[in-house]
Amino acid sequence: MSTKQTIAIIGATGNMGSGIAKSLSKTNNRLLLFAQHTDKVKSLVEDIKKGNPAAEVEAMECPTNASWEADIILLALPYAAEKEIAAKIKEVANQKIVISISNPLNETYSGLVTSPDTSAAEHLQQLLPNSKVVKAFNTVFAADFANTIIDGKQIDTLIAGNDAQSLDTVSALAKAIGLNPLVAGELPWSRTLENMALLLIQLTMKYNYNWVAGWKVLHN
Amino acid sequence: MYDLFFRKFNEKVALTAEEEAFVKQYLTPKKLRRKQYFLQEGDVCKSICFVEKGALRAYVLDETGDEHITAFALEGWTLGDLYSFIKAEPATWNIDALEDCELILLSKQAHDELLQTMPKYETYIRLLMTDAYMALQRRTTYMISLPLEERYLAFNQMYPTLFQRIPQHMIASFMGLSAETLSRVRSRISNRK
Ligand SMILES: NC(=O)c1ccc[n+]([C@@H]2O[C@H](COP(=O)([O-])OP(=O)(O)OC[C@H]3O[C@@H](n4cnc5c(N)ncnc54)[C@H](OP(=O)(O)O)[C@@H]3O)[C@@H](O)[C@H]2O)c1
Repeated sequence: MSTKQTIAIIGATGNMGSGIAKSLSKTNNRLLLFAQHTDKVKSLVEDIKKGNPAAEVEAMECPTNASWEADIILLALPYAAEKEIAAKIKEVANQKIVISISNPLNETYSGLVTSPDTSAAEHLQQLLPNSKVVKAFNTVFAADFANTIIDGKQIDTLIAGNDAQSLDTVSALAKAIGLNPLVAGELPWSRTLENMALLLIQLTMKYNYNWVAGWKVLHN
Repeated sequence: MYDLFFRKFNEKVALTAEEEAFVKQYLTPKKLRRKQYFLQEGDVCKSICFVEKGALRAYVLDETGDEHITAFALEGWTLGDLYSFIKAEPATWNIDALEDCELILLSKQAHDELLQTMPKYETYIRLLMTDAYMALQRRTTYMISLPLEERYLAFNQMYPTLFQRIPQHMIASFMGLSAETLSRVRSRISNRK
């Protein structure tokens, strides 16, 4: 037996949020979904339950309550919305794992808006000083969650964070949804991870990967 | 969110506002709904929980699948599978919510760090554990030495709020009795009066 974890996904109706929610709904986890347009959240919940009636997934009215009830919080928000949500969940996210998937892209996807000596994940850690921020899934495209094998290879998800237990927990989540977790190091490695996402986007646009692409470290 | 936790803490050891803020950094606020598990047998008990609101119970399953309630927790009480928490071994207890709960969790990591860095926390834990040990001593003594009616009265006196709030069949299980036996004991006691 294994105690179910509760995961709050804030920004659950977006490309990433819905992709991750659908994948996680097939694992031994309970999901609490939030986004501002509640009708969209409700139809996502119906959609997931139609495919898998046993899934434990629920629409939530408020990000604070969703995060209060959660063991793990995943922010699937545009980078620009993270500050506002962080203020709402700060108190209830105390000591909890908060997963940062965001890439702080500029409007033309040609660069990052953060300065080179920091990252979206480190900003979030500053906003949530008592939470365990873990960078993950940002180097994976939304469409990849439906199929985590490309060209016969399992996509890597690079992970960064300062707390060993939290890195294990997030790695287990990644594995449960079919990705290969690869811990890069402490949270400042997020700078590289966010730049890797930028590079993948650039390559995708240049070579028409059709938004199905990912990183794979080949090794012996 | 932390009101009762700090009220109970301050009853044992008085904290300054700064010290409260320091302890708060280590606490995890967590809601649990009725019937949801805080812990399932086989998992390591990674946190102990303090009940701000609600009620929980701990139970073990015997080989025939019957439940035996080992502990309850109401507002202001702390609960966890202590053996599993300290030893990081798989839990033998299941803990679930009898009502919607607001909990304050203390992870093993937070607990260890606070023990290291804050003498007042160590005092708090010592007093908490001493109280728990004394309660256990009394409960064990009642269980093995008192006739049923006296045992019922002693438990009732020890845990008056529990007896008012928790369904009788769970109280029976907690006392190591069947629900039928407990109800016979209760009617014998009321006939006495
Ligand atoms: N798309 C990808 O392939 C990809 C890959 C890797 C990483 N990412 C990163 O993942 C994040 C999400 O990207 P996305 O493509 O999924 O974006 P998206 O499709 O625009 O989704 C954003 C989600 O956030 C919600 N939201 C927006 N503003 C909000 C606010 N102020 N408060 C609460 N919820 C809000 C939206 O729903 P409401 O408007 O109803 O609130 C929606 O659910 C971004 O940081 C992005 O950099 C994306």
